[in-house]
Amino acid sequence: MALPKKLTDEFDELVKNYPERRAALIVALHRCQEELGGWISPQTMEDLGAYFGLEPVEIFGVASFYPMFNLRPVGKHVVSVCHNISCDLRGAQDIIAKACEVTGAPLGGTSKDGRWTVRHVECQGACANAPMIDLDGVYHEDLTPEKVAKILGAVR
Amino acid sequence: MVKITVNGRVVDADPTKPLIRACHDNDVDVPMYCYHPGLSPVGSCRICQVEVKQGDTPGRVMVACRTQPVEGMIVDTESPKAHATRRECLEFLLKNHPLDCPICDKAGECDLQDYTYDEGQAEGRSNEPRRPMEKRKSLGEVIVLDEERCILCSRCVRFFEEVPKKAQLTVSDLGSRSTISTFMDRPLSGNYQGNIADLCPVGALTLKKFRFQARVWNLVKMASTCVECSRGCSIQVEVLRGSDVKRFRPRANEKVNGHWMCDVGRFAFGHANAEGRLEGARILEGVTMLQFPIEDGLCAVRDALMATKGALFVLSPFCTNEEGQALLDLAKRHQGEIAFVAPGPNALKDDLLHTGDPCPNRRGLTELGIAGQAPGDLLKRIASAKIAIVAGERVVELLGTAAVKGLPGTVALYAFECHPVESRALRCEIGIANHVERAGTVVNVDGIRGPLAAVKPAPRGVRALGRHLEDLARLSPRKETASR
Amino acid sequence: MKAYETYLLDRAKVEGNHQLATYRKLGGYKGLEKVLKGGLTPAQVVDEMKKSGLRGRGGAGFSTGMKWSFMPDIAKDPRTRYLAINADESEPGTCKDRVLMEKDPHGLVEGSLIAAYAIRASAVYIYVRGEYRLPHDRVLAAVQEARAANLVGKNILGSDFSCEVYLHKGAGAYICGEETGLMESLEGKRGHPRQKPPFPAQSGLWNSPTTVNNVETVFNAPFIIERGSAWHAAIGTQNSKGNFLVGISGHVNRPGVYELPFGVTAQEILEEKAGGVWKGRKLKAWFPVGSSCSLLKGSDIDVVLDHDSLRARGSSLGTAAMVMMDDHTSMARVMEVIARFYEHESCGQCSQCREGTQWLSQIFHRIAHGHGQEDDVATLEALAKGMAPGKTICALSDAAAIPTLSAVKLFKDELIECIRQKRDPLAQPAPKYATVGAH
Repeated sequence: MALPKKLTDEFDELVKNYPERRAALIVALHRCQEELGGWISPQTMEDLGAYFGLEPVEIFGVASFYPMFNLRPVGKHVVSVCHNISCDLRGAQDIIAKACEVTGAPLGGTSKDGRWTVRHVECQGACANAPMIDLDGVYHEDLTPEKVAKILGAVR
Repeated sequence: MVKITVNGRVVDADPTKPLIRACHDNDVDVPMYCYHPGLSPVGSCRICQVEVKQGDTPGRVMVACRTQPVEGMIVDTESPKAHATRRECLEFLLKNHPLDCPICDKAGECDLQDYTYDEGQAEGRSNEPRRPMEKRKSLGEVIVLDEERCILCSRCVRFFEEVPKKAQLTVSDLGSRSTISTFMDRPLSGNYQGNIADLCPVGALTLKKFRFQARVWNLVKMASTCVECSRGCSIQVEVLRGSDVKRFRPRANEKVNGHWMCDVGRFAFGHANAEGRLEGARILEGVTMLQFPIEDGLCAVRDALMATKGALFVLSPFCTNEEGQALLDLAKRHQGEIAFVAPGPNALKDDLLHTGDPCPNRRGLTELGIAGQAPGDLLKRIASAKIAIVAGERVVELLGTAAVKGLPGTVALYAFECHPVESRALRCEIGIANHVERAGTVVNVDGIRGPLAAVKPAPRGVRALGRHLEDLARLSPRKETASR
Repeated sequence: MKAYETYLLDRAKVEGNHQLATYRKLGGYKGLEKVLKGGLTPAQVVDEMKKSGLRGRGGAGFSTGMKWSFMPDIAKDPRTRYLAINADESEPGTCKDRVLMEKDPHGLVEGSLIAAYAIRASAVYIYVRGEYRLPHDRVLAAVQEARAANLVGKNILGSDFSCEVYLHKGAGAYICGEETGLMESLEGKRGHPRQKPPFPAQSGLWNSPTTVNNVETVFNAPFIIERGSAWHAAIGTQNSKGNFLVGISGHVNRPGVYELPFGVTAQEILEEKAGGVWKGRKLKAWFPVGSSCSLLKGSDIDVVLDHDSLRARGSSLGTAAMVMMDDHTSMARVMEVIARFYEHESCGQCSQCREGTQWLSQIFHRIAHGHGQEDDVATLEALAKGMAPGKTICALSDAAAIPTLSAVKLFKDELIECIRQKRDPLAQPAPKYATVGAH
């Protein structure tokens, strides 16, 4: 298997931004995760290795270093709840509990229906609007458990 | 070169190499885990802390592997501050280390154990459970990984990246969750896997073939040379209680093999430990080979050489320079012809160490004036000779065991071999010591001389080929042949 | 608080400022024009920056002009040089660069170009943390608009100066906010900080001379160029010049990002900007500047927020992110969260940091959950001292040790009480939820 042409075309442009091809790897991993099912599969790592002229194990080393890359499948929607200090002081634990309750997913896992993954993350830079969640890449801030229920409830 | 002071002694240091190198080159011990002279320095384990003073600034503790020597630098490797910092570092390294030394193959040659002992750190402060991880993770045919023991020095990762230049391992994940892994648990491949067991400063990566084989302090270790190809890697041969070879390990030699050796050489115990050795001498009496003392065998050889001029001497490419010279002298004395068996290249050749040439002393023997010849051609010459002397470890194997067996009875074959020879032509055979049982010199492909060491005694009734040749010379003095 | 002039956040308050037209209407790109059309040499720009007294806003507080002047002389060292913008904002409590990127992205682009001109960089890489999707997209759009307007790319504004601006995304690793970790990550590798020396100015990105600046730092450059270094140097205190952005979060009524001149007290910010401690409670403790610094007690709220005053109280200016904690807060819990963060974010290279952050985290976790042991406080102190200062490749180990040492010093009795009672008397009720994987 190989990467879809759409992505390799993109990467062909992307690598021009850098004096060395592999510099584009992290951005490429993001794009693969976005386009190829929400996670970085072993096949994706092999394909990226072939694209960048690196061994798959090197891709794996890089991908596993960065918390944003999922090396296992995740739910259709990913809820990341910040549990660092500013959010913790303003009730992040209640937000986590509510997110888990509404979605049926355990913290750090995926709901049985595969729709939801809930996880905690470290500081997201939304401290002045704590607590917060990142739902599929979009920040929701100044939350209460009630607001969380509403936001997640509105997701189809 | 710059002049620096190490523990009060002024020494020369190469400013392009890290300070730790200057310390080691001058026999000053500085502990190290992530640093290895054959790999790029990363400075991550932080154990090689030494106190460094430059100019008027007060002494600072810094890692010797990422500090470049500068003219006038004053280094104290034993200062209280340096020791204190190293002791702290050890405490952190031991935090998750299982301390299963009693069942660890590395015990006795473990850098973590040794430095902990040196620093006198006998008690831990940690009340926390240690990181539970996989104790026996197979990384292929050669290596087994104990994740709990790993201190994440990353030497093994860098080895594959920098030496065979094909990454096979990585540190995966980050922080306290880091582990050493291959991609999707794929087995390691290639001819250089064993090196990472040597590189591992702890017992995380061990050789499957050495697992539970020996306690390292019971091994007798001597410097020698690998004979599995013409690279002649400098090695250390390690023998358990005077019997079996348990390990071949590379010995650092910048000119030959750096710090490495290939797995083919590393695991070539087959010949060294083989049973069924040819002991004493066996002489053809009527239609059967009968056991005789060595002296009788040598007399038989002498008599044959004196009776018939122009014997063909066929050497093994495993013969040392000394053996080659002695056989050359003997051949000259008896107006014989001489050549060594030189099989063509095998498929093991690579860009790193293995030359693909199975003749370890091709260059040495050639330089003595002995020509190498293909086994097929040599067999033809033997078959048409009246008398042939084949001598040296593996000479029959390299000529072709079956072909030797089928030699015509018209040639009188005399063999000096490690193992009994089967041949219709055989008149007499005498046992000889193998490459871990005799001393000598071989010359590698680049003309660099390497020693063979007698690491263990030869079996009873077996002597080195050189001894036999000395005795033979004594039995057949020059005068006698010259007068003919 | 005395009335003061604002400039950093003025444009950000204007709707649509993220687009070029509005930005220019508000005076945008005047600084860059002054540099390129006014014939300022790179050396003059560096000099202006030095005279302005601007200090880096990424945490270390080093003189920006000095940093730029460390780049090697182009006549002697013709290697390509790079500017990397550190937009990997992830210090707990810090959320100021995000405001600038979202609301005033052209300000960042303009500032980056001036910095690039001063250090003769031919390319700028803006390293935006991966989670900052909107800020990333806003800056990317700004770069594209600027390129179309000949403000980025070849012969900018008709001058000899050519410079490309690229965006790069991080992927959730805090350590990539450390300048050498950032460079490794920009090169497509694991974000392992590099041993210094060599410093980035000698050998940075792709072994070329590189300057790494924080977003807010370069954001200041156009103002300083346009209004003059003397104007900037007149604001603030002796060694801390200009206005700066303060993030204030935690137990306050109006958390937010505020622009203030150096010299105001933390109390003024707390009371007048953030509306005081919430729920009418008292201030118990606070991180003056992100989590990688010493905690201060509530009584230290009278401190002036500038580099020297905070240093005098045993802390530092850091990223100027105040995290406030009221008198119902459990310090065991606070330190559990902080220590867990450093454990999670240690890159794992250095022994002290990899093992030490985990160890601290385990101990604080135990104390906070009623399993503290008698020698824990002493162990915490000993471990923190073994992790710092300067014993590791980068400062993350120090960053974990410093708050630990301050907590042990300031709140020792409270920690001991948790251990003695085998419970945390100030613990909040913990909501229940199922968990899989590590804590």
